[in-house]
Amino acid sequence: MSTVAMAPHPLYSRTTLEADDLREVLPHRPPFLLLDRVTQVEWDSHAVGVKNVGIGEPCFAGHFPHTYVYPGVLIVESLAQLAGVVRSRTATAGGTRPPRAYLAAVRGFKFTGMVRPGDRLLLEARAGSSVNGITDFTVSARVDGAVVAAGRIAIAETAEGES
Amino acid sequence: MSAVMTPPIDPAHIRELAAQRRALVDRVKQLLVDRLDTGVEATMIADDESLFGRGLELDSIDTLELVVAVQEEFGVEVTDDDVEALLSVSHLADHIAAGLQRER
Repeated sequence: MSTVAMAPHPLYSRTTLEADDLREVLPHRPPFLLLDRVTQVEWDSHAVGVKNVGIGEPCFAGHFPHTYVYPGVLIVESLAQLAGVVRSRTATAGGTRPPRAYLAAVRGFKFTGMVRPGDRLLLEARAGSSVNGITDFTVSARVDGAVVAAGRIAIAETAEGES
Repeated sequence: MSAVMTPPIDPAHIRELAAQRRALVDRVKQLLVDRLDTGVEATMIADDESLFGRGLELDSIDTLELVVAVQEEFGVEVTDDDVEALLSVSHLADHIAAGLQRER
């Protein structure tokens, strides 16, 4: 086996990420790659991202028949993906193994506004305490400056996929 | 080497230290009950109660919640380097006391 350390993925020296870059740092794929763009990232600490809600989203086929409301659980998932981006450099050991980070806890969430087609979700995730490979995040989602969802999530990195 | 002077034992001081320790351990127990779904009352938790396994049976996500709670309640960090701090209620109280001491 080679003992030469692999160089970290060049994306991890960046502070913004486009959708094409997100496919490199997250294992998710459309239609479940919900995050569109990361406008600011401080690795292992904090990120701001964008999720544009379009009428073409698969969830609107059933949520709801009488009026379109973007599901709160998908806002949580969007925030979890942003938190996953924040931890991805560590979770992938700098990009030398596949990212393996999972949503481990959702706490104290409040949904304080309806999100509808055409809305632009501005997402924020800030890492807090981290122990045993599980990291606490304080997260929020805003539309036009107003908070529509906020709470805490935990992201767990697993040894799965380590080589 | 200079001669070591043993300070005179002041019973009132010892009692005060013991009371402070008692109060800290009780706060840690109350924090466990308030912030985690332990299903027990604070008075039912022993000072040397294990946080994991037989004992309070916390899981890894509870551990993170406890670490967050300790940070919020006492302003003391618990990291992966502090594995001993999470062995029992009393170990956690020791870690918090040491953290508070450093702050002074």
